[in-house]
Amino acid sequence: MSMLLTKRLMRSLWRTKLRLFAVVMMVTIGVFAGISFGMYANVITDMYDETYLDDEDGVNLPDIWIKNPVGNWNQTTSDSLCKLIEEEWSSNTLKLENCESRLILSGLMYHANESMSAIWHGIDEGNIDRVWFPKHDCCSGRLAESADEIVIDYHVAKGLEIQLNDTVSLIAGHGKVDYNVVGIGLHSNHFYFAEPGSIIPAEAGTFATGYLSAEGLEKLANVSSGTSNTILVDIKGTPSYNLLSTDKNEGPELESIIQNLTLSLGNLEDISVIIHDRSGQESVEFLRADVEGAKKTYPYVTGMIVVIAGVTIFLSLQRLIQSQAKEIAVLRTLGIPRASIMQGYIIAPLVIGGFGSLIGVLLGWYVGGPGMLGFYEEIIGLPILLDTASSSIIFENVIIAMIIVFFSGIRPAWQASRLQPLEVFRGKNEIRISSRSIQKLTAKLPATLGLTIRSSIRKPIRLAFTFFALGLSMVLFGTMLMMMGSMEDIFSPNDGYDAQIFIPPDGEEEIINWANTNNVEYELLLQYPGTPQGDNRQFLIYGLDKIETKESQLSMMGIDLKDGELPIISSEVFQVLIDEGTVEFLDWNIGDQETIMLGSTQLKVEISGITKGEMQRTIYFHRADLSQIVGINTTSVLLSSSEDITIDSELEELSIGITTTEDLRKSMDTIMEQQQGILYSMNALGLLMAFAVLFNTLVMNIAERDFELSTLRVLGAPINKLGVMLLGEHLFIGFIGGIIACFASLFMANLMIESFVQWAFYFTIEPTFSQIITIGGIVVGMAIALTPLGMWRIYKMNLIEKIKDISQ
Amino acid sequence: MTLIELKNLKRHYEMSSETVKALDGIDLKIEEGERVILLGPSGSGKTTLLNCISALDIPTDGSYIFGGKTVPRDKSEQMTTFRRENIGYVFQFFNLLQDLTVLENILLIQELSGEKDQDRAINLLKLVGLEDEIDRFPAEISGGQQQRVAIARSIAKKPKLLLGDELTGNLDSETSTKVMNTLVSACESEKITAIFVTHDESLIQFATRVIRIDSGKIISDEKVS
Repeated sequence: MSMLLTKRLMRSLWRTKLRLFAVVMMVTIGVFAGISFGMYANVITDMYDETYLDDEDGVNLPDIWIKNPVGNWNQTTSDSLCKLIEEEWSSNTLKLENCESRLILSGLMYHANESMSAIWHGIDEGNIDRVWFPKHDCCSGRLAESADEIVIDYHVAKGLEIQLNDTVSLIAGHGKVDYNVVGIGLHSNHFYFAEPGSIIPAEAGTFATGYLSAEGLEKLANVSSGTSNTILVDIKGTPSYNLLSTDKNEGPELESIIQNLTLSLGNLEDISVIIHDRSGQESVEFLRADVEGAKKTYPYVTGMIVVIAGVTIFLSLQRLIQSQAKEIAVLRTLGIPRASIMQGYIIAPLVIGGFGSLIGVLLGWYVGGPGMLGFYEEIIGLPILLDTASSSIIFENVIIAMIIVFFSGIRPAWQASRLQPLEVFRGKNEIRISSRSIQKLTAKLPATLGLTIRSSIRKPIRLAFTFFALGLSMVLFGTMLMMMGSMEDIFSPNDGYDAQIFIPPDGEEEIINWANTNNVEYELLLQYPGTPQGDNRQFLIYGLDKIETKESQLSMMGIDLKDGELPIISSEVFQVLIDEGTVEFLDWNIGDQETIMLGSTQLKVEISGITKGEMQRTIYFHRADLSQIVGINTTSVLLSSSEDITIDSELEELSIGITTTEDLRKSMDTIMEQQQGILYSMNALGLLMAFAVLFNTLVMNIAERDFELSTLRVLGAPINKLGVMLLGEHLFIGFIGGIIACFASLFMANLMIESFVQWAFYFTIEPTFSQIITIGGIVVGMAIALTPLGMWRIYKMNLIEKIKDISQ
Repeated sequence: MTLIELKNLKRHYEMSSETVKALDGIDLKIEEGERVILLGPSGSGKTTLLNCISALDIPTDGSYIFGGKTVPRDKSEQMTTFRRENIGYVFQFFNLLQDLTVLENILLIQELSGEKDQDRAINLLKLVGLEDEIDRFPAEISGGQQQRVAIARSIAKKPKLLLGDELTGNLDSETSTKVMNTLVSACESEKITAIFVTHDESLIQFATRVIRIDSGKIISDEKVS
């Protein structure tokens, strides 16, 4: 008997193909998203872990970086520093394995008559931080061995179509030298391929990196043999380190070593050092943050979609039961037990869930996951070397989906089994009355308006579920919209200057002369790394010629002052501006005097104001103040002209790197373009789900009112007047739904941002009026757009059948 | 004066294996002011006839003249307008909107017809003896009272013709009598022609004419005092 009942139910479901399709699709999308994100999170986690390993296949990422912020060390100094590190090693459990010095320089590369800024590494076959030639089509060739050979980074080779045996011209502040390309490989500092200080992947032709032999780079930079500016320290195994994204200190032992080294090396005369672990290495930290972000986001997104599917199934089953009330009542009258009725309504959602999950698994495993990884390859530029996505993500996602689907079906099934035949036959089950308080509140309104309001909120639980699901659906769209807006704001390059010319320390005079000769305005900029006292996390410290707000347009690098005052130059305690992320993480505030470390120098500063819009933790000094402390005047020159600046060979040869605003804008446009596909897909998905949820509820609202609408039609109510009533009802639901969608989007966007932001990447969401109007307007628009559908349904209502139903 | 004139009216339903002749050539004239009762067994075609008269259903063949004009049968909205302008309808289960008070149920129909007249709505409730119940909700009054509200609602927009399908079918005999008395007085005071479908022979006392119908054909048509 129950088999026949289930068959009957399945046939009934099949009659409502559109709704059935929508519900199956919801489950499919949930599982698809879960598997796609899950595969992405799994693979990139494994890649992150394995790529940096201290083995033959990995790059053997250093555990401690010791950098010279002001210049280079000669061979003797770097050797003595390594010796000192060995002597001062303070840990018994973390064993020092290797200490290697490296020279890493900024410069330029020429290709096809175009120059681009570059970073050059001098790497002989070492044990630490090796040039990586993974077993993949991406990379080929060998290490640079002689002084005229170079390994070009895969990102550059791919973007500029450079091949083995090509010749490239390089500059590192001392003239142009040609090198023969003997390898195409990767390096840990540039897995995430962006210019230093930027989070935007570099556009092909705007940035290059290459890995020369130590001798080759020394020749390029015209420095003596053994010159270096970075010491890499490798510890046996992979020690835990303090993650920037948590409040907990995961690596106290490594931190203690770094603090001891900071003290020991800082006490040496004429030695200035910046020491950090892998969290201070931009590319490494960015990839780790991406892995962490993917892991954190994936359960949210999947959960959200499956919950929406659950709510839709719940509401759809309720509607199904309502439309089948008479059949159920007949069955109950014929003596079919409740359990048999209930069984079918429990099996139905499971079948829907199973079918939806199956499609979701196939699409996720074969399309979504590989697509996400392809997207990763495209954006990050790292080849996917592993195919290790565990099939456990299939089980996890399907089980979660089926549990939600199961629970979504329980209440409707219970309701079906509890239908009272007599009430159904009398039509009482279709009659729903709004609450007495609503009736009183609307008593003074015209009857049509009163009925519109009362019928809108006749089923508060369903309405609440609808608003909940609508809010969740719009969260996808709203969050993406707000995040895209914030990303565009943050990634937008500074419009105050046209080019930033990096120079060797204090090499500004020649650039100033060039600027004066070429009628170009300039400002000097001093960039220096620093840390809070007793903390390894790094600040980006700017010394600006003029500290002015963006609005005033008085400075090429205007700041966005959020609170407080601009600092006064040469104050007794140097005044500085800090960014809002620093306030968030260090709890520093206006008027506070805090101590920061500039290399090995301690400096007390007073915070005069807070800025916003910086992704990295930033401190702004007056250049003159900062220069007094670090002993360098300038690290780069900003150039601006009302006409286009032509970067000529003279300027190129004077510089050790040039970044043009146009290049940054190109890179930003490219990343936005690359991301648009996925962002638009997410937006479309959110809108589709919101529409499905709204469609379901509004159609159910109308269907439930067949009794009263058909009565009114029989009594001669014109379709346009009923249409106005429906429109009022849809507007009401759309308006409330729109407000909820706005709040839910804002809340979720902030929650997601909170889970993403960390010391190295901080940004806030400030929704604009147009974003709010877009989110709310879309919901209202969708609700209004569904009115004609409701009117069509009423228009097509078979009044004779309805009358028959009512009369019987 | 003739209000309704049906000539050779047919309503056939094409089923998969046969053609069901629900109405099979009905010729009928109803004068203004008449109260007609349609009697007949189940499946005789009386409800189909009522549906065709109310322009809910479209005859397969024949002509239907109402007040000297042909009743529209092609366009749904024109049929609705015809109902709105000419027809009042009383249902067996009253079909009051539970979310609206007794008075609001009447006002709603007036508003939808674009003829809101609260004084008339209250007067109609007085006419059906429910002036004390105007702010109560349908669920708060008895079935008989609900049907009287339904009668007041059906004549609120001054229809020329009032139709009722088993309108006392859900009431006990005492209440049925009260409702029918109310209906008769309402029809007389508002000068409304009425046609009721029923199984209940006892309602003949409230009619001026009784038409019996079987197998889609009129088998008797007699005036009663």
